[in-house]
Amino acid sequence: MTSRSVFHIGLLRLTDAAPLIIARELGCFAAENVDVSLSVEPSWANIADKLSFGLLDGAMLLPPLALALHLGLSGGGGPEPIVVPAALSLNGNTVTLAERWAGAILGSGIRMPAIETARRFRSLIRERAEKPVLAVVHTFSTHNFLLRYWLAAGGVDPDREVTFTVVPPAQTADALAAGKIDGFCAGAPWGAVAARAGIGRTVATSSAIWNHGTEKVFAVRRRIADEEPGRLQAALRAVLRAAAYCDDSANAAAVAEILAQERYLGLPPEIIRTSLPGATPDGDADVSVFLANAATFPWLSHAEWYLGQMRRWGYLDGAADIASESAIFRPDLYARAAISLGLPVPAGPRKNEGRHTAAWQLPASPLPIAMGPDQFMDGVCHDFVPFD
Amino acid sequence: MPGDPLRPLKVLLADSDPDRAAILEQRLGEIGDAIILRVPAGRNLIGAVPELAPDVIIVDMARPDRDGLDDLRRAGAANPRPVVMFVDRDDRTFMEEAIAAGVSSYNVVGAAFPDVKPIVMAAVAIFRKHQQVADDLTRARATLLERDNINRAKSMLMRQRNIDEPQAYRWLRRRAMNESRRIGDVAAELLASEGKAPE
Repeated sequence: MTSRSVFHIGLLRLTDAAPLIIARELGCFAAENVDVSLSVEPSWANIADKLSFGLLDGAMLLPPLALALHLGLSGGGGPEPIVVPAALSLNGNTVTLAERWAGAILGSGIRMPAIETARRFRSLIRERAEKPVLAVVHTFSTHNFLLRYWLAAGGVDPDREVTFTVVPPAQTADALAAGKIDGFCAGAPWGAVAARAGIGRTVATSSAIWNHGTEKVFAVRRRIADEEPGRLQAALRAVLRAAAYCDDSANAAAVAEILAQERYLGLPPEIIRTSLPGATPDGDADVSVFLANAATFPWLSHAEWYLGQMRRWGYLDGAADIASESAIFRPDLYARAAISLGLPVPAGPRKNEGRHTAAWQLPASPLPIAMGPDQFMDGVCHDFVPFD
Repeated sequence: MPGDPLRPLKVLLADSDPDRAAILEQRLGEIGDAIILRVPAGRNLIGAVPELAPDVIIVDMARPDRDGLDDLRRAGAANPRPVVMFVDRDDRTFMEEAIAAGVSSYNVVGAAFPDVKPIVMAAVAIFRKHQQVADDLTRARATLLERDNINRAKSMLMRQRNIDEPQAYRWLRRRAMNESRRIGDVAAELLASEGKAPE
């Protein structure tokens, strides 16, 4: 169905779609002679179905959804398998609760650790004897698993003490205002939108739950990787160049202006800027990372962490072999593009998650990569390699 | 009892376009023994599914709340009848056409569906027709707009340069040819540069 000459890429109205939008708008794709058409899709399900039936060649995707699609747990069941040759962003989500809950948890507004807000939420639930309704944007979203992690770390049973529901990101603030939900976990800028409207406040961010975890990835049909490797490499180079542009805080104003356009996010640029690099964390938004911290590397350990969480909450059969299912993440495809741009490539496809509470150096070629902390809110270490 | 051959098929129609939904409802009603249900006003799709307990859901892919269907897919206490997307594995072209036309259908697991393909096919045909009409309308509007911009740019040139209409048109055409662009685009740009918003 898709024309060979055009590379069809799908995305959603989210701030962390920035690298794809910028690659198109600043001519990074054109410079690589890749003719790209970007389509803003209404839902993740649309992206999954269009990828699996070949109506999209590539798309921004949630890592758990990419894995669910591969495992046949989600999506249209079309014939086209996908691979993940790059990641697009780290961090960027918020757990935002209605003022009725957030007010009691945050009090006068002094910021507190995520583990503390989760424990206070548990106490409130038991005190009020209520079962709050919490929304995520998709069952196989990072948001579902980060929210479950936050709840469970604070002692709340996500399957019994709260009700999960699915609300599209752009409708979260309205649903909160209408009292249909008590809170949500969603990507930027929706937490900031709710906070500006005075409807709710953020009690945890993805960086506070799991610092520098993968948020969005770039998925493509495997057929493109197999049959048109040169074209995929050209598209990847364009995306990596755009990621470098988006990660430079000096460009944040320009990026926000472009994303603000009606055909992309259609929101005021100042709200979009609250989660772009260089933003001062204001408590209601989480700042995305687009290139630093090996953000674009498709870590097998990140895929395996999400597979582990999918198993933990009963979405994945206990017999599934996590170490082989993560193989749709393709650091080899990433490495070719990164090397040709002179970007450093991590020495291995996995790293231990949660062991670093301060800045550290990641072994990489040709030079090590400066990394930030990667700890989890509960201090638990998730190990994927014997030595680190 | 799901799958009872004597029971009419319950089809939940979730279409945000009221005109198309009306046509679809009528057409699907003609096809066979089917009860057509609609998402009640003010309710979202996800809330309506457990309540109406349809056998098949025909959904407009432009709806953002379709993401919730993956949630219902899981068998759970809240909804013991998970839904799966209808996929005709033997007919890839048909599935591609359906998705390209912006319509998708979900089967509620546990029911047998001898009648589902004609219903999905009818929905795809109506969605395609609708899309074609919308495309034609967009094209017609663009042509009218372009013509209007060219006329306004010509008037402007005639006034500014004191030339007649054929000369003004030739000026626009030459510029378009030199820059390998469309006359309409040149006219729109000219109007914009003079502070007159192209329409």
